[in-house]
Amino acid sequence: MKFECKDLERCLEVPELMADASEHARDCAACRRELWIWSEMSNVASSLREQWDTPELWPKIQAQLAAQPKRKPVRRLDWRLLGAVAALLLVAAAGALSWYQTRSHPRSAPSSDFLTEQTLREVEQAEQSYARSIDKLSKLAQPKIENAGTPLIAAYREKLVLLDSAIADMKSSVGQNRFNTHLQLELAALYKQKQETLQEIVRREQKN
Amino acid sequence: MPGEIGIMVTSPGGLMGTIADGLLQGCKQGDLSAYEDLYSSHAGRMKSIAFHLLGNRSEAEDAVQETFLRIYRAVPNFDGPSGFDAWMYRILINCCYDAARKRRRQAEMELTADPAVPTSVPLRIALEKALARIHSAHRMVFWLFEVEGFRHSEIAGILEIPEGTSRKWLFEAKRDLKRLLTEVRS
Repeated sequence: MKFECKDLERCLEVPELMADASEHARDCAACRRELWIWSEMSNVASSLREQWDTPELWPKIQAQLAAQPKRKPVRRLDWRLLGAVAALLLVAAAGALSWYQTRSHPRSAPSSDFLTEQTLREVEQAEQSYARSIDKLSKLAQPKIENAGTPLIAAYREKLVLLDSAIADMKSSVGQNRFNTHLQLELAALYKQKQETLQEIVRREQKN
Repeated sequence: MPGEIGIMVTSPGGLMGTIADGLLQGCKQGDLSAYEDLYSSHAGRMKSIAFHLLGNRSEAEDAVQETFLRIYRAVPNFDGPSGFDAWMYRILINCCYDAARKRRRQAEMELTADPAVPTSVPLRIALEKALARIHSAHRMVFWLFEVEGFRHSEIAGILEIPEGTSRKWLFEAKRDLKRLLTEVRS
């Protein structure tokens, strides 16, 4: 390839091509000048480093650190454990309710229609409770999401928008067919994804 | 050099130097001699970066002090030892960012800064002035690479950007600086 002046910028972007540029610059004053400025910027930049003595700075930092309260081991919220406890409580509550109803109506065998309606109500109550918990988690993660300063957090925000949209669609479908177990499971899976995403954001916030 | 900081940095997890286990444990336990070791190794660079971002020595020293305080408070949650240095410098940059935000006059300085690069001044001063005019993220990468001597892998860890982006931003910074310097001198 014959090197031309217009190739210079590409060479500056790819350091491996710099040898070609230097070769060309031997006979080209304009490119020689460009290359000189390019390398001189690096040479001069190192002189921009600001250095000064601060004999009093470390004693100040030391005193400030010494004045900090003694550390206690930090216990992080274990979201999995909290989730398991919540699920356990939900199951226990459902069991207690079922036991109470059996005790209240021991002789009358409930119709299959009633059982289906009852089960559905329990599912919907559990879903509402789950959604409320996720809303609380959303509030915790909200400041972090709003100040999305990193591509990662921006990506999480995008994901949450998509999930919210999918949840809204799925709720609409469930509304049209409340007894469809498959749709209910799909909705639960979407909630779970949202919960995990929010937990990841909150965990990252705690780490920082 | 004073200037707005265009990059908000957030969490640990970079590629930079691995802190010695003993030193990290010392920091986690609140051992002040461990912090003194950290200070001896990094304070010079930290002050220079803070000065670049805040524009004066007094505020740069305050930012370094605040950085050590935040490290002290946050290090129990740090899952090291790898990426510690990058994490530490991210905290420093965030401290500078917070300090700059508190300072309203900073914005005024930005607006009233003379954009012209004088022709008669030495290249060092011309470069300083030109640096104030380029994109803040590009300037940050230029500063960390060319002035502070960090590698692209380290800059990637500090700013939480891909290494290729660091290279690209450095090139763009130098290309813009060259243009500014050439415009004035020609």
